[in-house]
Amino acid sequence: MSRAESGPLTRFGVPLVVTGAAIVVGYLFSVGLDGYFVYLGMSAIVAGIALLGLGVVTGSAGMVSLCQLTFAAVGAWVVSGLNRIGAPGGFLVWLVCGGIAAGLVGVLVGLPALRLRGINLAVVTLGLAAAADLTLVQIQFPGTVDGVSVERPESFSDDRGYFWLGTIVLALCCLLVHFLRRTRWGSGWQAVAFSERGTAAAGASVRTSKLSAFAVSAALGGVAGGLLTGQVGLAFPASFTAMQSLALYVLAIMSGAHLIDMAVFGAVLWVAVPELLKRWGVPQDWGFVVFGLLGTHALTTGGNLGTAVRELWRRRSKEAAGVELTAPPAEVDVPPPGEPVLVVRDLSVNFGEVKALSGVHLAVPSNGVLGVIGPNGAGKSTLVDIISGFLPQATGAVELDGRSLNGLSPTRRARAGLRRTFQQDRVPAGLTVGAYVRFVARRRLSSSEITEALEFFGCPPARTPLRRVDVGARRLVEVVGHLLAKPKVLLLDEPAAGLPHEEHVALGARLRQVPARFGVSVLLIEHDLDLVRSVCDTITVLDFGQVLASGPQAEVLANPEVLKAYMGETELL
Amino acid sequence: MNALQVRDITVTRGAGPVIREVGFTLEPGRITALVGPNGAGKTSLLEAISGVVPAARGSVHIGDVEVTKHSRVARAKLGLSHIEQGRAVFPGLTVLENLKLTARTWPRVDEVLALFPELDKRRNSPTALLSGGEQQMVVLARAFAARPKFLLIDEMSLGLAPVVFTRLLPMVTRFATEGAAILLVEQFTHLALGVSQDAIVVSSGRVTYQGSAQDLLATPQTLHSAYLGE
Amino acid sequence: MLQGALAGLAAGGLYAVLAVCLTLMSRLVRVVNFAQSATGMFGCYVAVYLSVHAGLPTWAATVVGILLGGALSALLGWIISTWLAEADIGTRSAVTVAVLLLLISLSFILFGNKPQPFHPILDGPAFSVNGVVVSQVTVVTVVLSVAIAVGCRALLGRTSFGLELRALSERPTTAELMGIPAKPLAVAVWAVTGLLSTLVISIVAPSQSNDATSLSMLVVPAAAAALLGGFRRLDLAVVGGLVLGMAQGAVAQVDSLSVVRYFLPFLVIVGLLLWSQRKEVWDVAR
Repeated sequence: MSRAESGPLTRFGVPLVVTGAAIVVGYLFSVGLDGYFVYLGMSAIVAGIALLGLGVVTGSAGMVSLCQLTFAAVGAWVVSGLNRIGAPGGFLVWLVCGGIAAGLVGVLVGLPALRLRGINLAVVTLGLAAAADLTLVQIQFPGTVDGVSVERPESFSDDRGYFWLGTIVLALCCLLVHFLRRTRWGSGWQAVAFSERGTAAAGASVRTSKLSAFAVSAALGGVAGGLLTGQVGLAFPASFTAMQSLALYVLAIMSGAHLIDMAVFGAVLWVAVPELLKRWGVPQDWGFVVFGLLGTHALTTGGNLGTAVRELWRRRSKEAAGVELTAPPAEVDVPPPGEPVLVVRDLSVNFGEVKALSGVHLAVPSNGVLGVIGPNGAGKSTLVDIISGFLPQATGAVELDGRSLNGLSPTRRARAGLRRTFQQDRVPAGLTVGAYVRFVARRRLSSSEITEALEFFGCPPARTPLRRVDVGARRLVEVVGHLLAKPKVLLLDEPAAGLPHEEHVALGARLRQVPARFGVSVLLIEHDLDLVRSVCDTITVLDFGQVLASGPQAEVLANPEVLKAYMGETELL
Repeated sequence: MNALQVRDITVTRGAGPVIREVGFTLEPGRITALVGPNGAGKTSLLEAISGVVPAARGSVHIGDVEVTKHSRVARAKLGLSHIEQGRAVFPGLTVLENLKLTARTWPRVDEVLALFPELDKRRNSPTALLSGGEQQMVVLARAFAARPKFLLIDEMSLGLAPVVFTRLLPMVTRFATEGAAILLVEQFTHLALGVSQDAIVVSSGRVTYQGSAQDLLATPQTLHSAYLGE
Repeated sequence: MLQGALAGLAAGGLYAVLAVCLTLMSRLVRVVNFAQSATGMFGCYVAVYLSVHAGLPTWAATVVGILLGGALSALLGWIISTWLAEADIGTRSAVTVAVLLLLISLSFILFGNKPQPFHPILDGPAFSVNGVVVSQVTVVTVVLSVAIAVGCRALLGRTSFGLELRALSERPTTAELMGIPAKPLAVAVWAVTGLLSTLVISIVAPSQSNDATSLSMLVVPAAAAALLGGFRRLDLAVVGGLVLGMAQGAVAQVDSLSVVRYFLPFLVIVGLLLWSQRKEVWDVAR
């Protein structure tokens, strides 16, 4: 099996071909279908674009957005307004303007909800949807009262032609979302949905990730609204109610709209369910009841149609990929450690009455590995949190290469060349190994560079989806990503946790070579003394939040005080 | 029979088993020390006994009742008490309120407070404002108030100075003299073994020693290899 | 202005009671219940149906409606605490969004989408201040909102039931390990908030715009009021509800500001969020 990711030809070619094929199929539908189905199809296209947007914000970035049709109303407003005043450029330009305007409104609405978690966004967006509902009824869209209907572009002016235009716009939106999800932004959406700390530690801004997801989603909503206006000619508030926004959200969750095909499938459901109910003589409102029930089911079980279908498809390879670290790595010359590159002075932090750390000094030598050990609860993870900027209330100085990092956010510290990994799994399952490594590394990487680094740590190949990588291997993929970022210092918080004990020493042999191979100095927190012994030149021992001992490995490990702290009270050792 | 039995239990977390086929019995009035290096799976074992996580294989018995499939609440009603790692106080509740949760009656609260004069002085403070040692004392007192028959204690010394811990340890002995069966997980190995009758050493999820605590203290090599590798 | 503000006070009392319910739910059972007012709406609609079509006396129909609201809420609580016991607040709340949709569309099917022919339970003025009439509904809802907040506070602070609820909300696992039954207590909280929401909506709905969507969307101003108390403090939730109702009433007096009235809850939400998030905090869990 090849370890490399697919080449640029497949990466760009396949989506373009699929888009082209979709447009051709759209044309065939537009000439072949019955007029009524063309009308229904147009409604499905509008819903599809709106669902694509929801897929980005709820599916990828994990936020709850309940006003997708309010953004559609913004798009509709702009298109009918520009039509009313006879703005230059014609329908397609107005459509783009509508999308941009909705995106801007999205940014404005999203800003206040960004710091706290998803549920605040839900409250804000429901508030907006409810307010817009009442307002639109009162003020109406431009041109509605005097009956000025929106002019379609000349070449797509009849219903069949307009349907084809709709398929083209939908296909282009799908293509846009497809490529956006493969950019840094897209990886950021996945990362922020899984862990905000993990996102910041990779040097990506949590704020930008969330805001871009929300803006893209709103812009797609705006395009959907504009397109709807062109379909009907006049925009009516009844097309953009809060109720329908709720239904779209539930549909997005239920179908798994973060997958592009599922967004399109959800759009078909959006139209087909009420239509079928109508044919069977059932009131159409049952459609939303069905969505509500299926949505409740999807949310309580945590699954959705898209992943369920894909699971069936991929049943053959259910085994999780793990780490293969059997062979010892090739020898390299390990240069002696140099001057300190990371210096920490007088670090302290209290949690309430509890002194978690007090007056901690330590230094990581360049080209070296400093081990930090100590009993449980000694403050090791707190130390990493402070150095990497996640505990701004801590006091003391952190200097990287002579430059003070005090007051910088975790994102800024990561960009300045101070990276960290986490004890818990903070690797987003939605990405492939390769995409995640590129996201974390934040620089151009050749495929061979990634493959080489992954092989060195025995990680699964770059194209493996992370959801099929076991926890131990995920943590090493995280380490690889941060190493490829070429930071000055990498803080590793128990990287071996999750690996079988037999592989700890093999990992140690590789960590030992990290400064020589990657040019990165390491601070290693670890409780496996075998591993520490095989990797670290110097060791600092923490006990009750204070430095108990610090110095060369042999000296520290021979210190009876250290043994006492590490093993508990013992006069025997 | 009034013992707690763990039979060949296996606990899985994420990728693989963290505890493999471990079995033992806790007898009334006896303290069993469970020791081993960090990451050996001690916390997972305790959680499987009290029902925080399910056991993948094996069974847990309280007296004659098999409780492997029982809820945490049902196990607690059978007299099992689990003191979690860290300081498991309810931070927004006062000392009195914390105790009242398990004591049920005010006379019992007073009885317990009489044993902890430090807490009596701060009975109306929210526990969030107490020091680490005092918080751990609240947790112990709270467990004591419930008169548990079986008590699992997970690293109550976490983040505490040894001098504070040595103040708390006699309370554990007192639980035992009142008839409770105790499983004590502790990083201060020698202090823990000092108050225990039985000992179990786990390393990488497996039992490497099971027997008398005194014998284990007398053969440091067993412990040494479990902790330091080699 | 004063007349408008006093007219808005009835709505304010309604917001306040719903805000207290939202706060209780968020604190005690980790849910922002978007279906809070929809549950009440549904109970009230059933009551109207029973009195208009089944010929039940208004008071009996209202009691049945209130009990139904409580039962619906309890059922939802049971579902969430069975299948999403360990899930985060976001996932648990998202379920209530689906339920909100479900309840609105069910009521459209069963009762149509027009406002309902409510029989007012309370009618007529209570007293007047400087020529401005204050209705019985206003007096009752305001008194009710304060009474409910005070009552809940006493229940949480003084009884062992409240003590167990607070313990559960702070450390659910620890509380369960001590033998405190999480699920029955959670379902009880759901049931009580369901009862309270239906009760207060039954009182106020006859004198408000009472179509299904408007009543269900009452959760928005209620959330704005609950946010003032940070979804933790009951007293501030009541104050927030009353003030918001009065402000909306006052603004409604001025024709040119009517759109502002619609956006008032939204603006309050945005403002409060901006204020409460001045400092960056890194949540341990994420």
